[in-house]
This record gives sequence, C-alpha cells and structure tokens, in this order.
Amino acid sequence: MLACVLAAWEPDPEPKVEGTGVPGQDLRNRDVWVIVRCFNEAPVVGAVLGELLEEFPNVVGVDDGSTDGSAEVMRAAGARVVRHAVNLGAGAALQTGLRFALLDPAAHYFVCFDADGQHRVADAVAMVERMRREDLDILIGSRFLEPSGGIPAGRRALLRAARLFERLSSGVSLSDAHNGLRVFTRRFAGQVELTMHDMAYASELLRLVAASGLRYAEHPVTVLYTEYSLKKGQRSVNSINIAVDLWMQRIFGRRRG
Amino acid sequence: MIVIKPLLILCVVGLLVWAFRNRARVGMRAGMKVAGLLLTAFAIAAIVDPGLTQALADVVGVTRGTDLLLYVLVVVFAFAAVAGYFRFRDLENRLVDVVRAQAISEAIHAEGMPGADRGL
Repeated sequence: MLACVLAAWEPDPEPKVEGTGVPGQDLRNRDVWVIVRCFNEAPVVGAVLGELLEEFPNVVGVDDGSTDGSAEVMRAAGARVVRHAVNLGAGAALQTGLRFALLDPAAHYFVCFDADGQHRVADAVAMVERMRREDLDILIGSRFLEPSGGIPAGRRALLRAARLFERLSSGVSLSDAHNGLRVFTRRFAGQVELTMHDMAYASELLRLVAASGLRYAEHPVTVLYTEYSLKKGQRSVNSINIAVDLWMQRIFGRRRG
Repeated sequence: MIVIKPLLILCVVGLLVWAFRNRARVGMRAGMKVAGLLLTAFAIAAIVDPGLTQALADVVGVTRGTDLLLYVLVVVFAFAAVAGYFRFRDLENRLVDVVRAQAISEAIHAEGMPGADRGL
C-alpha cells in the first residue's frame, strides 16, 4: 500500500536543482542512489559513507553478512542498511542493493561504490554529472584512461589479462575490466539479473551490458591504493576460480527457472 | 580400438552436457533413476558371474574386464561430480533469493521504503 502511495508521488518538475542552501535539505542528486557493498569493512566504511552522504542524500549500504559490526557503523553514518543474514558474495550484494534502490520510484541513477575507500567521491559526482549530460545508460570507471601511477605492477598485468578475457568472452571492450565504480540509469539497472553471486559478477555484468544493447562509456577515475584496500582486495589467484565458474555457466547453461 | 577411443570420449562429454542442460526435466530425473537401477542390476550380475565383465569387455573392444570397470567408474564419478556442482549451485541460488528477500523486507520494515522519508 505504501508502494502505491509512493508510485503516485511525483518528483519535482525540475530534478536538477542545485541545492537549496538549507543545510540538510540539499536537493542535489536526490534522484541518485549509491550502493555500497560491504563485507567486514567496519574500520573504513563509516568514513566512506560519510563522504558519500555529503554529495548524495541516498546511500544504501549492503552488509553482506559481516561479523565485525559493519551494519551498525553504516547505520551510524546515516545510510540506509540492508543486511544479508549470511555472506552471499559481492555479486549477490550488488543485486540486493540495486533491487532495494529500484523500489524508490524517484531513483534514476544508480552508483556502485566500493566500501574500502579505494574510490573518490569526486569521481562518482563527475560520473553522475556526465550521465545527466550525455545519452548514456552505463558509465564504468577506468584506471587506465589517464596515465596515473600508483597501480602496482603485478596488479596492472593481472588487470590487462582480465581485460583480454572480457573482450573474448563478452565482446565488450573496456580499458579497465574490473573497476567497482559504475553508474547505471534506471533503464539498465532494472534489467540487471546477476546469477554469479561472487566476484565473477563483474564479468557477467559486462555480458549483460553487451546483451542490453544500451549505450555505455568509460570514465577516467583514480583508484586509491591504500594499504587497507590492497590487503582487502581480491587475491590474484581468485581469477582462476572466476574464469572457471564463468565458463562452466556458459557451457552448461544458466540456472533453471 | 584406436578409433573407438575418441568416439567414446565425445559420447561421454556430449552426454554429460546434454544431461545437465536438461537436468530439471522430469524425464531426465526418471532416466537417472533407471540408469541407477540398471547399474545395480549389472553390479549384481557381475558379482554372480565374474566372467560377465570380461565378456562385455571383449564385445566393446577393451582388453580386460577390470579396465572396463575402471572406465565405467571414471564416467560415473565425473557425472556425480558435475551433478554435485550444479546441485550445489541451484541450492545457492535459492539461498540467495531467500536471504535477499528477507534482507530487503527487514530494511523496509525498519526504516520504510527507500526514498519515503523525502516525499512524505
């Protein structure tokens, strides 16, 4: 019943209001939902959400079954929290966040943002602004569009290999295959149905982008390789697991209905 | 004998792929049960008359009956392994659906629909 009321509620005729000047009543980006997946990131996620909330009024933290009190930290920071009772994986958490944010009929843009502090809020803001200007449905962050140092050599080589793998398996050609910073319009977000629940979702997402036929582009972003994010990041060996899972799915078909 | 090997391998792989693409169908599940029964019957027969595996091996073109048993064992194990993988994945999908539905409904119950605080 609440949903009916909300569906009838219409957003302001001019949604691109630049801010009212009244603290806490900023109307900027109220048609944007930021989705932050979080699994045991309590030491950093509070600061990340705090920064995000300065620019985006709608932030949902998806706590993927953390055991370190991440959910409480996120709630204290002022974000909405959706909590998985058990750990399901990165892909499942993103899907949950999208599904939750899509319930807001005023939501037009969906930003995926990592919880470990590796992305800059300024990049997310710039990406949303570009989405408003250009006719795009998917905008994906890339570390490689601009020459930026700071990417460890081993990681750089692995990301290049991942890029080749994506190109071969999805047909989508991107300079940075696994950047967690992405912006979707409602049109694309509404049709995302991830079946890969772990880290392999990134590749599946690119296949969905290719299959949707919608317009996508890349946006140069800076990834902050803090000691924390490097320690928490995926281990390189995991790319073998991901590749095998993806090809198993391709050969044997998707889940039954 | 040399020609039969790649053919057999192709058959096994093809059967495996076909079986798991159609694993949800009722006929497939029934087929697996019939296969299980046949296997049991064969096992009993082989125990009663040990010469049976050798006779079968001769028919198929395998040197020894024990080798034939080994081949069958490998195929059955491969089937079981892949079946386990997919069974596990189907279960995981269901778990994800349940946990997600619970998480979202709990969030809405606690603080209302997303964006509701703005408009109302």
